[in-house]
Amino acid sequence: MSTASPLPQNFSQSTVANTASLLRILAFGLISAAAIASRLFAVINFESIIHEFDPWFNYRATRVLAAKGFYEFWNWFDPTAWYPLGRVVGGTVYPGLMATSGVIYNFLHYFNLPVDIRNICVLLAPGFSALTAWATYMFTKEMKDPSAGLLAAAFIGIVPGYISRSVAGSYDNEAIAIFLLMFTFYLWIAALKQGSALFGTLAAVFYFYMVAAWGGYAFITNMIPIHALVLLLMGRYSGRLYVAYCSWYAVGTLSSMQVPFVGFQPVRTSEHMGALGVFGLLQIVAFASLVRSHVSSKQFQNLLAISVVSLGVLGASAFVVLTYKGWIAPWTGRFYSLWDTGYAKKYIPIIASVSEHQPTAWPSFFMDLQLLIFLFPAGVIMCFRDLRDEHVFVIIYAVVASYFAGVMVRLMLTLTPVVCVSAAVAFSTLLDTYVDVKEPSVPEVSQNDSNPTPKKAASSGAVGSQAGTAAANAASSTISDIVNAAKSTSSRPKGIWGTDARLVILLNAIGMLVFFVFHCTWVTSNAYSSPSVVLASMNPDGSQHIIDDYREAYYWLRMNTPEDAIVMSWWDYGYQIAGMADRGTLVDNNTWNNTHIATVGKAMSSPEEVAYPILRKHDVDYVLVIFGGLLGYSGDDINKFLWMVRIAQGVWPDEIQEPNYFTPQGEYRVDDRASDAMRNSLMYKMSYYRFAELYGGGNAVDRVRNQHIPKTGPTLDILEEAFTTENWIVRIYKVRKEDSLGRDLKTANAFAQGKKRKRGKVGSRRRAIV
Amino acid sequence: MATRLPPIFTLLCVIFVSVLLGSAAKSKSSTGDSVLVILEPEKRAEYSIFLNGLEAKGYSVTLRAPKDEQPLLIEDGLPNFSHVAFFASDTKNFAKDITPQSLVQLLSLGTNLILTLGPKQNLLTSLAPEFSLLLPPPATPLVSFFPERADSPSVIPINAKSSSTPNDTFSVLTPGVGSVWFSGTPFALTPNPLLFPILRAPAESFAADLSDASGLVSDALVDASEKGGEGLWAGSSLAVVAGFQTLIGGGTGHGLDAGPGEDKQARVVWVGGPSLFSDEFANKKVVEKVKEERGLKVVENPSGNKQAALDIAGWAFQERGVLRIDSVSHRKVNQTGTPETYTTNDEIVYTVKISSYNAFSGKWVPYSDIKDLQLEFTMLDPHVRTALPAVRGQAGTYSTTFRAPDRHGVFRFVINHKRKGFTHLLYTTTVPVVPPRHDGYPRFLSAAWPYYAGAISTSVGFLVFCALYLAGEAKEDKRSKKE
Repeated sequence: MSTASPLPQNFSQSTVANTASLLRILAFGLISAAAIASRLFAVINFESIIHEFDPWFNYRATRVLAAKGFYEFWNWFDPTAWYPLGRVVGGTVYPGLMATSGVIYNFLHYFNLPVDIRNICVLLAPGFSALTAWATYMFTKEMKDPSAGLLAAAFIGIVPGYISRSVAGSYDNEAIAIFLLMFTFYLWIAALKQGSALFGTLAAVFYFYMVAAWGGYAFITNMIPIHALVLLLMGRYSGRLYVAYCSWYAVGTLSSMQVPFVGFQPVRTSEHMGALGVFGLLQIVAFASLVRSHVSSKQFQNLLAISVVSLGVLGASAFVVLTYKGWIAPWTGRFYSLWDTGYAKKYIPIIASVSEHQPTAWPSFFMDLQLLIFLFPAGVIMCFRDLRDEHVFVIIYAVVASYFAGVMVRLMLTLTPVVCVSAAVAFSTLLDTYVDVKEPSVPEVSQNDSNPTPKKAASSGAVGSQAGTAAANAASSTISDIVNAAKSTSSRPKGIWGTDARLVILLNAIGMLVFFVFHCTWVTSNAYSSPSVVLASMNPDGSQHIIDDYREAYYWLRMNTPEDAIVMSWWDYGYQIAGMADRGTLVDNNTWNNTHIATVGKAMSSPEEVAYPILRKHDVDYVLVIFGGLLGYSGDDINKFLWMVRIAQGVWPDEIQEPNYFTPQGEYRVDDRASDAMRNSLMYKMSYYRFAELYGGGNAVDRVRNQHIPKTGPTLDILEEAFTTENWIVRIYKVRKEDSLGRDLKTANAFAQGKKRKRGKVGSRRRAIV
Repeated sequence: MATRLPPIFTLLCVIFVSVLLGSAAKSKSSTGDSVLVILEPEKRAEYSIFLNGLEAKGYSVTLRAPKDEQPLLIEDGLPNFSHVAFFASDTKNFAKDITPQSLVQLLSLGTNLILTLGPKQNLLTSLAPEFSLLLPPPATPLVSFFPERADSPSVIPINAKSSSTPNDTFSVLTPGVGSVWFSGTPFALTPNPLLFPILRAPAESFAADLSDASGLVSDALVDASEKGGEGLWAGSSLAVVAGFQTLIGGGTGHGLDAGPGEDKQARVVWVGGPSLFSDEFANKKVVEKVKEERGLKVVENPSGNKQAALDIAGWAFQERGVLRIDSVSHRKVNQTGTPETYTTNDEIVYTVKISSYNAFSGKWVPYSDIKDLQLEFTMLDPHVRTALPAVRGQAGTYSTTFRAPDRHGVFRFVINHKRKGFTHLLYTTTVPVVPPRHDGYPRFLSAAWPYYAGAISTSVGFLVFCALYLAGEAKEDKRSKKE
């Protein structure tokens, strides 16, 4: 056998195996280090701080868990959230994340390592990203081989699509959920491959962990049944499938029902019905195959036809009846919006108002996945070539996740692992082909092997030495392979001759990988490492300038308001106020009560005299708004204002109408052409109160909307300005008390400012009879 | 056992008796003893009976001319006096710090006011609308030609007996105070619940311009009735003395607003003219014709002005009708100690202790006479609204037991008692009502028998199956061996 370059010969088999194993461990260690290190930009550039919105709640809940123990956490009723409704936190939260941190915390403290709970929370996501890399390695190993696994681990370790949700400080459910997702899938594949009840049960255990950790567990709940169903339809029913699925489903469902927030959903909501249906179907198929082994084929065919029809009718009608009767909950709005992207905007503005529920823009695919998105289809096609049971899984996963990632930005996260796996399969196939030093020496070797193993197929892949891109190459190799197999003629031996051809491809591939690393690092450091609690801007000299208005405001609230004060703000800031300012809020990021949010929306979009009774009824002490007009910070409340109007309109269509907030020309303006409804709304008044004074009679410009603000700004009667941060990003107003003389506040204010009251009707002078 | 007199009645009797005796019984305000009288010092003699009466009660009276800069009403954000009586009704210009705004600010700082209107417009004219008072046009005093008397028609004796104000259970003026001389401007009252008349104008009286009326015989009333709506300034719907109790700011129930709230309540008395307090009217006799067996007999009685003035000041300066909540407690039935949270459907006992101020002893005494006290248990809306009756045998204690609603959330106990003449009682306590703990639900449900039966039958069935399976296998083995 000829080789392109000389191979060292005098190594024993075990030496090679040991070295490979050592190298794998080393590589894996480096991958873990890279995965963790690249997530620490946020800590280095800013500080060890919890990011964004939801993590603040998780952090606060974790502190309760660490301080009071699990049972108190389970029974925790948070009277400050959703005031005055309160929130039964224990029953409305996925406790997996907090429990994980709590276990780590207690573990470290047991060994007398006094690590602050905040640092555990901040560094949990990077830590779990290393585990994710490992889980992806195990998963990909099942698909192809350990080297593909290492590639996949490296990809998932640094790919921005996953980093976006797992940088240090991004203490969210997704931080551990992706690890659980991949590991559950790995265990499922392992269970399926071996027909092992042990692995099936392990998959169920990790499924339970996933259910406890993230609402996205429904993805697993549906992926595994779909996989099983497709295998059934492909006629690949086997005892292995039966054992794996039944052990997973039975144990997994029963355990998932132990999570208080999930409760009886697995047997009552439509999202979970697929899994139940496939479970039932498997029993039928298993029974049928048992029957088949006992009766003649003719009888069996009749029996099958009758039973399939009757069971199908029975099952479908039962499903309809149960749904109609309300025993099975109908599909939720979030679910509908997965299929009809316009649905949410029409019917449930609260879902549509969340930026991460928007459809994905195509550049973000490149931004988040870069080279992988091109390798991804190649990898999927590679799976077709072999099409073992686990490859079917990857194909289904790829199709489903691609669709969902296109519908919702946040579901990019579930796509990322399969992209990494597929891309790793494709890339490692390419490398396998070109690193392999064997040359096709024997022209007589027949290639029309009916069932080629992947290794063979890959090594006998490319035609000639045309070097296209790796993806195109791999794809064309497959096609040509099929074509060749069909023709079953091989006039020329296929393969690669010489080192130069190999080097061209390999250098090219390595170059792409290097670019990938640079891209990932750049995206991570620039786009995904901002805590969004602290903003950074650049000074003219290039140094970093920190804008810390949020924390300034929250700290002010913490130090200057009564401990049980209630702060009203738009729901985006609810968790932050609760976490950083430790004050009660009306609405927060757990958007479970649309009416309550609409109430806040109504208060914000109504004139003062309408808003005041609402504020009083909800015992609001302070109102907080985000205003970016001075600094040009576009994520402010005026830009979110239309969502408040829309959500309020959904509940009070008679009182709030969206068109009123536009100019007659249909423009959204805040300058002197703003509509009356806009100008009288509490939100507008709070945002621009005394804004023009800042410019001392000059031209007051809102830098976000690039509009001139009228010189005579709005007046406020029911509120008084309590605090405005350095850059005016956060403005806090105190709600005035009712007037002690029983007047309405507008009159009282006018009086206090010494304005003459309009004289009431007073009779003219009258003379007396004397 | 002697019949227990309601304390308020006792209180009134004591006041009555002590005043009748003309003793120097000390009767102090619940909010402080310092009184500032805004009055030209040279006019002090005109009001000596009233002012001496105040001093005899234990007040320290300071005089300040309207244009004096000192002493300030408010210094460093704190009021300098507990009470301010405004007698300079003829003055047009005042010192800088005496403005309608500063007077309202005084109220919010807890200073009580007596404000007397003059014939001409001054700062009080613009202040009156803030209290929902409607004043007639300037220089239209109250005029009445009844009863027939030698005095000018604008000097009117008003019989205080005819109206017990503000209500049947509480009267600002001592019952039997007699006729009160009045001369000045009447005012109409809008239906502001904080405002109530203390002394109404006589039914025959009306507001009219007397300044150039000497020669004119125009039929003003007929004129007025033709115009329609102009009849407003006539009759007993007008008041000449009105009381106003300021609102507690109605806080949110959080922080400093929790409990009784930090706000101070103040009282204002509007009087149509300062002469009601004057020595002249105090000494002026009221001529009444009393029916006797042989026709009418003319009787000269002393006027009730002296007593009425002190009564009015006594109410305004918070000597009477002053209540307060001493303490509030709530607990679960059959348990002691206040829990941090309640569970839904808990039986809750709510107890409040109320006392009233006794001006003679200067002490707070338990007060059990509120008949219509209510307790609300609210979250957004009242979920429970129940009577809070006085507890027999425990003076000043009111208590009730009720079941918490089957609804979790942050609830507030609210006592909101506002009655004319009395201090408002407002007390909020916030308490979360939580769902049962995870182990707080019943462990064994009889309704769940189908499930228990299912679980048991499955277990038994499994055991039976195992047994049969194991036994059957042995048989089969034997059979196969036989075969």
